[in-house]
Amino acid sequence: MPHGIKISGESCRGCVNCIKACPTEAMRVIHGQLHIIDERCIACGECLRICRHRAISLEESEWNSIAADNRSMPLVTDPALCTQFSWPPDPGILKDILMDIGFEPIFEDAALAFDLAAMAQARILDEHDSRELPMISTYCPSVVRLIQIRFPELIHNLSPAETPLETSVDLWRTRHNRYDIPSTLVAPCPARITMAIRPVGRETSSIDNVVSTARVAKEILSKNCSPSRESTIPGRDSRWVHWSVSGGEAGHIRMFEKRPLKTLAVSGLRNVVGILQEIELRRLKGVDFIEARMCDMGCIGGIANAESPFLSRLKVEDYPFAREIDKEEMAILEDLYQAGVWKLQQEILPIEQIPLGKDMAKAMEKLSELQSVYAELPHLDCGTCGRPTCRVMAEDIVRGEASLDDCIFRLRKRMGDLSQELNELSKRFVHTMTPEGKE
Amino acid sequence: MNPLSRQEPYVIQREVKPLDFLAAGETASDFKETLKSLGIPPEICRKASIVTYEAEMNAVIHGGGGIIALELAGDRITIVASDEGPGIENVSLAMQEGYTTAPDSIRELGFGAGMGLPNIKKYSDELEIETELGKGTTLRAVILLDPSGEEVSDLCRTV
Repeated sequence: MPHGIKISGESCRGCVNCIKACPTEAMRVIHGQLHIIDERCIACGECLRICRHRAISLEESEWNSIAADNRSMPLVTDPALCTQFSWPPDPGILKDILMDIGFEPIFEDAALAFDLAAMAQARILDEHDSRELPMISTYCPSVVRLIQIRFPELIHNLSPAETPLETSVDLWRTRHNRYDIPSTLVAPCPARITMAIRPVGRETSSIDNVVSTARVAKEILSKNCSPSRESTIPGRDSRWVHWSVSGGEAGHIRMFEKRPLKTLAVSGLRNVVGILQEIELRRLKGVDFIEARMCDMGCIGGIANAESPFLSRLKVEDYPFAREIDKEEMAILEDLYQAGVWKLQQEILPIEQIPLGKDMAKAMEKLSELQSVYAELPHLDCGTCGRPTCRVMAEDIVRGEASLDDCIFRLRKRMGDLSQELNELSKRFVHTMTPEGKE
Repeated sequence: MNPLSRQEPYVIQREVKPLDFLAAGETASDFKETLKSLGIPPEICRKASIVTYEAEMNAVIHGGGGIIALELAGDRITIVASDEGPGIENVSLAMQEGYTTAPDSIRELGFGAGMGLPNIKKYSDELEIETELGKGTTLRAVILLDPSGEEVSDLCRTV
C-alpha cells in the first residue's frame, strides 16, 4: 500500500476511532472493514496512534530477510534512531553497533548530505525574492503530501532541496560505484516509509528496504549491544542528529546564512495546519523559512520510535551542535552544491481532488444537493455510518457512494414512521368488520 | 439593507460574531473548501480566501459582527460582507496601507495593522464599498474566475 501502513482485516473491529482521528478524512468503514482513500491519505500515522485493536501497522520490510542477507548492506537511518538508546546520540557509537550486526552504515555520506541540504537551502534563501517566501521544508514527507492535497497553492513555496536521506544513498553509490546492492532505511514514521515506496520529487527512491526505528532499536537492545567507546566531542559528522528534533533543520540552515535569516520551526499536526493557513493568507511576511514537521517535537515524535520523545529531546539538547566549519569541508560542499546533487529531480505536483461534478454547473448542482442532504442528517458526527462526520457523509451520498439509510438515526426514524403506518393500517376496517371489532 | 435579496444565486452565508478572534478565519477556510470542491483553480481559491479573511476580520474588529456571503454566478465569485457597525469615515484613507482606526487593545493582539482593505483590493478584481456613518458598511469584492478577461462559460447562471 502506498501510505506506509497496512490494515489487518481480522483485527479490525470496525470501530470508528481511526476515521475520526484522520486529519484529512481519508478513512471509511464500510461493511465492517476499514478503507483508506489513497489520494487523501498523508501517511501521518494518527490512525496508528489511536487504534486499540492493533489493526493498523507499519508496512515495513521483513527484518529477517534483511538480516539474513550476508552482504553488508548500506544502511541510512533517520537521525531519530540515534536518540533511542541510553547513551548519547553520537552517530559514531551507533555506527560501530550497526556494523557489529552486519550493516554498512553510510553515516559519512549522511553527514555530508545533511550539511549540503542545509547549505543549499541557505543559499537559495540568501538569493530569494522575498515576495515568494517563506520557503517550506520538504524534509517531512507528510507535510509535503498535506500541501499537495490540501494546500496546492503553496506548492511553489516548497524547497527545491531533496531530503538528505535520499541524497546520502546517491552519494554513497556514486562514491563506491555500488549500484548492485540494496539499501536500507531506518524510518521513524509511516511517511518516511512512504518516501521509499512512492517518492515525491524523484522517479524512484534510492532506498530499497525500510524498517522501523523501533524494530532496529529492539534488535540492538535484545543483543545487549552497548557502546564500545565513550562519546566523542561532536563534530561535523554529527550535526545531522539535530534534524530529529523540531528546530534542527532551521538551525543547521542558519549556520550557513549570509544575511540574518528568519526561520520558524513548527511541529504537530494542528500547528502545521495552522501555519499553512497563515502562509496561505499571506500573514507571514518577513519569515524566510518554515521547518514544519507533522509529529509533535519533530521526528523523535514519530509513531515508529521506541524511546520516549521527551527523553530523546533531552539527549539531543545535551549533545552540542558543532558550528565550526573548515575550509576543506566548505570546498567539498561547494563542489557538491555546484553539481546540483541536492536538488529534487522532479517538480512536485498537486494531488488532484475529485470535484463534486465534472463541470462547474454540475458541481454547483451537487453542492446545493449536498446542503439539503446535510440538513437531513443529525449533525452528531457519531461515525456509525462509517464516515468521520455528517458533512463527509453528505458528500459521499451526493457522490453516490452512500445512501441516506446508512445513517442509523435516519434509519431509526424511517422504522418509526413505518411502524406507525403499519399500526394505522392495522386499525383500518375491512368491510366484513363491524365498528365494534366483531367479526 | 441586505444585498443578498438583490443578487442571486448565493451559495453560503455565514454570521460573524463581534470580537470573536478564536473563530476568525473559519469562514475563510470554509469558503475555500467549498470553492475547491467545485473544482475552482487553487490560486482563485486562495484569493477568495484572503479576501474573505480580511472582510471577516473587519467585521470582527470594527463592524460589531456581520454577515459574510459567498456568491457564485457566471464568471465570478463575489464576497459580500455586510455589517451594521459605525461605518467608515474616510474610505480613501482606509484604503491606504497602514492606516488604521483599530484600538490599541486589538493592535496588541496582532490585528488591525491597517492592511485589511488594501489587501482586499489587491486580491480582488472589482471592489465596491457602500458605507454610511452610524448605519454600517457593505463591501462587495469580485474575483473573476478567469482574470485574463476571456469569457468563461455562463453555465452557472442556470443554477
